[in-house]
Amino acid sequence: MNERLTAMKDRVRAGEHHSLRQAAPIEILAECESRQLSWPRRVALLVRRQCEAERVVIEADERIVFTRTLPGIPPIYSPEQWTQMTAGKTLHEFGPVNNICADWDLLLSQGLLGRRQVALATRERLIDQPEAVEFIDCAVETIEAVLGLAARYAEAACREGREDIAAILEHVPAHPARSFHEALQALRLCHAVAWLSGHYHVGLGRFDQYMWPYLCSDLQAGQLTIESAEELLAEFFISLNKDSDLYPGVQQGDNGQSLTLGGVTPEGGPAVNELTRMSLRVSRDLAMIDPKINLRISAQTDLDLLSLATELTRIGLGFPQYSNDDVIIPALVSHGYAPEDARDYAVAACWEFIIPGRGMEVVNIGAVSFPAAVDQAIRAGLDARDDFEGLLRRVSENITTQVDKLGEIYSQLLLPPAPYYSLFMQGCLEGGKDLSGGLKYNNYGIHGACAANAADALAAVKQFVFEDGSISSSDLLSALDANYVGYEPIQRKLADEGPKTGNNDARVDTLLAGLFDFFAEACEGYGRTPRGGILRPGTGSAMYYIWLAMGHDGMREPVVGATADGRRSGEPFGANLSPALGVRVRGPISMLQSFAKIDYQRIFNGGPITMELSDSVFRTPEAIQKTAMLVRTFAQLGCQQLQLNSLSLETLLEAQKHPKKYKNLIVRVWGWSGYFCELAPEYQEQIIARHYYESSGP
Amino acid sequence: MSSGIVFDIKEFAVHDGPGIRTTVFLKGCPMSCMWCHNPEGQSRQPQVIRSRVGERTAGTEYTPEELAAVLNLQVAILRANEGGITFSGGEPLLQADFVIEVIDLLDEVHILLDTSGYGPEEDFRRLVERCDLVFFDLKLIDSNAHRHFTGCDNALILRNLSILTEMGKPFVVRVPMVPGVTDTDQNLADIVQTVRGLAGLQRVELLPYNKAAGSKYQPAGMEFKPEYDESQELNLNTALFEQANIKVTIA
Repeated sequence: MNERLTAMKDRVRAGEHHSLRQAAPIEILAECESRQLSWPRRVALLVRRQCEAERVVIEADERIVFTRTLPGIPPIYSPEQWTQMTAGKTLHEFGPVNNICADWDLLLSQGLLGRRQVALATRERLIDQPEAVEFIDCAVETIEAVLGLAARYAEAACREGREDIAAILEHVPAHPARSFHEALQALRLCHAVAWLSGHYHVGLGRFDQYMWPYLCSDLQAGQLTIESAEELLAEFFISLNKDSDLYPGVQQGDNGQSLTLGGVTPEGGPAVNELTRMSLRVSRDLAMIDPKINLRISAQTDLDLLSLATELTRIGLGFPQYSNDDVIIPALVSHGYAPEDARDYAVAACWEFIIPGRGMEVVNIGAVSFPAAVDQAIRAGLDARDDFEGLLRRVSENITTQVDKLGEIYSQLLLPPAPYYSLFMQGCLEGGKDLSGGLKYNNYGIHGACAANAADALAAVKQFVFEDGSISSSDLLSALDANYVGYEPIQRKLADEGPKTGNNDARVDTLLAGLFDFFAEACEGYGRTPRGGILRPGTGSAMYYIWLAMGHDGMREPVVGATADGRRSGEPFGANLSPALGVRVRGPISMLQSFAKIDYQRIFNGGPITMELSDSVFRTPEAIQKTAMLVRTFAQLGCQQLQLNSLSLETLLEAQKHPKKYKNLIVRVWGWSGYFCELAPEYQEQIIARHYYESSGP
Repeated sequence: MSSGIVFDIKEFAVHDGPGIRTTVFLKGCPMSCMWCHNPEGQSRQPQVIRSRVGERTAGTEYTPEELAAVLNLQVAILRANEGGITFSGGEPLLQADFVIEVIDLLDEVHILLDTSGYGPEEDFRRLVERCDLVFFDLKLIDSNAHRHFTGCDNALILRNLSILTEMGKPFVVRVPMVPGVTDTDQNLADIVQTVRGLAGLQRVELLPYNKAAGSKYQPAGMEFKPEYDESQELNLNTALFEQANIKVTIA
């Protein structure tokens, strides 16, 4: 990293550009009202007014421009109107379309004028269909808005003597990009406008695929060297960190700016190229939380690439997250995805597999709480003197009830129109349809949260209550009700002596796999949603490892108290696929073997095995290669997704004491990396608890 | 048949030999090195460890069959990743019969013995015979100093070192670098004298002092009493080895 980039990074981390921001969001409600605009037209107006209100910012050392100055997204309906419109409906999270992936190649290869041409041709063809015409007019309005913004930037650049920037912005995003630099500038602007329009978790998709032709031809023509290309790429990556404090999320950093690398082409050939490696190198050298890198691999991926990726892990970025094509692609195909689409998957905000430009999928409609399903079954089953099989039947029923409930809630899903986002989706401009009406894929995904604790609880009950009788049903029920107060010996036995997930122990792994089988059956049994999609079961926990333990406003999932794995009420669960907090396991190999037993052909919504490595692992250079081998082993064992973290407990504890000194300390939280010191205390504590085990071994 | 006692099994032990390895820590050690960073490995008896994570017992009894079964579940993975199983401790020689039985029950895999070399010659021979590589610790060559800092004489260790080289096994000599104790030029020069020209010696590894060495004493109900200054800078004098044409690394 040269001085220019270092200075730029430091400025962004220090938030110097925040002083350029406008004091308040713009106001457009009155205009929407006085013009009696329809919903789609209000959304288009929002995009237009936001673009118009943006102030031009061109920093002296910038070569890729756009700095957001608008602090927020103004309402387009009054609260009363909004309540009325949404009564009886389900909004996904904050409402606007989010966590899908554009086909950014449509922008780069056609330019906005090319997209407008497509739109106008459709308008002509469907002129007698008012809805289609309105959608096209809205879409075109957003195109004009972005072109206007680009033109103002170009004029200002000219005035400031920055002919280089002016020349680029006079060409893109209006026209197809002619160079890597133009492609990055077009993407920066149009990606930022999606955020500015109220969309969030706006990902970058298969960056090394759609960007590669531009870089490749620049390299071949001698327009760029590897070094100069890396410098541009670094600047682009830094720019993605500029506005992230304005993004909505559960915690700072939870922004879904993910970027997918590697894997195979839609035709099935190898997709890794120089840009794949370049992106990894630049991300390593920058050490910032955005973009969040996902690397698609298979059992055949070479160790050199995995070693390069491990260098990011070594410095503690918490990414790349690895996705295993060997299991993911066949699972997508067997659930109705065309093979060429399945091979083209990207990773959504956290871990879910989505198809760029072809999916209006809601991949995180909620979570199944395995601990609640198991806890209710244990209480009711022991009370009714069930045998263990009967107890398992109750677990299955409880899971089905939870799945059905989420399915029913989302059968009322209301998706706002998204004319701007539709520009970059296949078939919207071509067919005169807004993406909110549905795309080629319209499935929902459900997380399967905190399975390790639930499986451990079942295994403990099976062994101590049903097999050796060392704990009586009534004592267990009383102990759970008392949150183990006065029942400490029972708590210790459950916590320390039962079989635990993550140790490749068939006694508990069978139950773990069984929980996911129940989950798969529940989703498969649900059938089609009103949007024509299916329910995709997954293995992620998202923030539910905290929420299911402590509760959260407006959450739909059940909260549980003390659980039969010896966990006390309020204590957080393990994140994603990981052993329960405080459980000692032998290490990464057994963990992978345990989680390899889940049937990923049925459980295919994603959710990583989450592994904490002590930073002492990376003391010697050979550790990079060995960690790369570990990642390859993950793929060879047929696991689905992996996320490795490297941190020391001491560093985390120090960072809590001296946050200023550690403001750049990065940690993986669930599906995303953030700055440790910017997290709420309960999330900090959960991460610290993950590291206790590593620090207490030999 | 003998059962054994193990205080931990740690996978992905990246510093314990080539490739991806799983290390078995055998509980019990005849030495009591002042700088020992695994004090719970010293006693043969299970012992309670109390820390902020809670309470646990270090020390699990295994029959050779039980331990081999656990390890055999992953032997294929270790083999595919140029690694294997490392027996460490504590001191594996103290449970030689048990370790030998376990090794004999293992599927084909690379075996590494991590030893202080302090144990009966007969046990040492039988164990080394079954290993592919030996990590042999040399701490102090001066026997008085050795007795003072480790609690035992080094004659047995030095004899086993010559047996090791006579057996033709490849080995690595590892020197824990303790400030002012083992890292003196005199001791390092003595080590050079001792190991130079030994057949089978692959390299000497200098292990920088573990500043967290004392952290596990209190949880294990033991007392940490270093007679040296932990904060003193280490004398990582690799030149002494290089001059004698001995390959040396710092771990």
